[in-house]
Amino acid sequence: MSDVSLVLRQTYYGLKSTRRNPRAVVFALLFPVFFLVIFNSIFASSGSDVTINGLTIPIKTYFAGGLIAYAIMLNCFSTLLIALTTQRESGQLKRYRGTPVPSWTFIASLILRSLALVTVMIVVILILGAVAYGVDIHGEAILGLVVYAALGTATMCALGIGLSAFAPNADTASVIGPFSAVILSFISGVFIPVDQLPAWLEDIGKVFPLYHLAAGIQTALGTGSGTGLTGNDVLSLVIWAAVGMFVAVRRFRWEPQSARG
Amino acid sequence: MANRTDGTAISVQNLRMRYGDNEAVRGISFEVAAGEVFGFLGPNGAGKTTTIEILEGYRKRTDGDALVLGADPGRPTRAWRERIGLVLQECELDPALTVREIVTLFSSFYPSPRSVDETIELVGLADKRDARVGTLSGGQRRRVDVAVGIVGDPELVFLDEPTTGFDPSARRDAWNMIEGLQQLGKTIFLTTHYMDEAQHLADRVAILRRGELVAIGDLNEIGAGAGARSVIRFRMPAESSADDIGSIVEAPVELSGDVATITVDNPQRPLYRLTGWAEERGIVLDGLEAVHPTLEDIFLELTSDGDRGNGGTA
Repeated sequence: MSDVSLVLRQTYYGLKSTRRNPRAVVFALLFPVFFLVIFNSIFASSGSDVTINGLTIPIKTYFAGGLIAYAIMLNCFSTLLIALTTQRESGQLKRYRGTPVPSWTFIASLILRSLALVTVMIVVILILGAVAYGVDIHGEAILGLVVYAALGTATMCALGIGLSAFAPNADTASVIGPFSAVILSFISGVFIPVDQLPAWLEDIGKVFPLYHLAAGIQTALGTGSGTGLTGNDVLSLVIWAAVGMFVAVRRFRWEPQSARG
Repeated sequence: MANRTDGTAISVQNLRMRYGDNEAVRGISFEVAAGEVFGFLGPNGAGKTTTIEILEGYRKRTDGDALVLGADPGRPTRAWRERIGLVLQECELDPALTVREIVTLFSSFYPSPRSVDETIELVGLADKRDARVGTLSGGQRRRVDVAVGIVGDPELVFLDEPTTGFDPSARRDAWNMIEGLQQLGKTIFLTTHYMDEAQHLADRVAILRRGELVAIGDLNEIGAGAGARSVIRFRMPAESSADDIGSIVEAPVELSGDVATITVDNPQRPLYRLTGWAEERGIVLDGLEAVHPTLEDIFLELTSDGDRGNGGTA
């Protein structure tokens, strides 16, 4: 088997495993859709607009963009953090290391799995947003969305892999993964529009990549022309991706870190 | 199957492993012949896991030479890993996948794997092939470990405590399976806590204590090396004395409570004299037995020195 088909095969079984994992399905796949429905039901009737990156966009578009960012964080950062920590501590990573397959194919298949789930989530959110709430996206916006989704996937995967090195066990990872996404969502313009946040809270949110991923996608979807790419958001994501990769390369471990019998 | 090792599967010369000030493996040497089942024994902390992980290519040795299937395990290559099967201690597989899915996935990692269904049958999980790993019992999961360890059709299989946590009948099944592997011509490097397991399965054993080999060879060689002798035991009849019986069997008799123990190199003649004497007088020797030392006796003799568990790292 070529290495590429090895990656695809591992991705295929990884997706199978995800589909059978109720926690992954509920947290990473269903929650963003629930939130899209709930937020639109509560706020969209008011017909208010949100101003982001100097651009005023309808709140339905704003929520769709924010929840795509949320889905990317869950399916990349949270999922990888939990999966890698669990598999390391249970000896699965060590087991893979003992087979002839190159180790990178295993990591690549995890990233590819996240990318596949992200793609599904984007399609679902956009279709639901368009059909149920009339989210209107112009052609060029798709290009900006694709760039942000790819960059966001890279950043969130790198951070998930990097942080897994510091998670001592699966329980810790299962708490940090989803809950950091929820907490950041409140201060990153995902659950609550940023123009309703006190400035100091928004300033904290701006430190983290979810804020910029959400703002970037919201801007891309809401802009009437062009790709909506903003240097500020792209730069922040690139820096966080670099940090994640640096830590991942330096600190990643294949063997269980807890004491063995 | 091409066997490129011709004779020797593993060769270790003066192998050492240091962690800081602690020397976990202190210059051990041994060879494992192709096609043999080699039992690698020792108390916890003796350096077993360190040694096996060096030979599996997980750890780099501090000093000494090691050849596994003719190659240096300190520099594992893909081609080398294709010829080696691992069954690790405390290692889980994805609980959400079925037995067949897991074995199929691992089989795709090897250039000429065994048939997936045949492998599942060999480990005795044919009726569980479509069950998810997470629903299996501990013993059944261990068999999945073995299945993914051998599905690549390796020449050499490392079995690190393959039956820990098994009930007695599951252990018997596992033994049959391991014997089946040997009949396929595999070389098997086995560690175990169960001396009866090593006694049953291993062609030769090595016993490690505090990072050093204290015995190596087949069971007879090890028994002779340890000065192991047979023991005759019975309850002392009320009307006899240890001296009486000692003069009949021509060997010293030790009394502990009312249990008499005679330790001899060969129990045949003392037994004949003892039972002849008892029969003539119509004496019944309660609890009479003659026991050859088991590997467990030898193991305890060789490894007990009142210094348990602080000789190395696990």
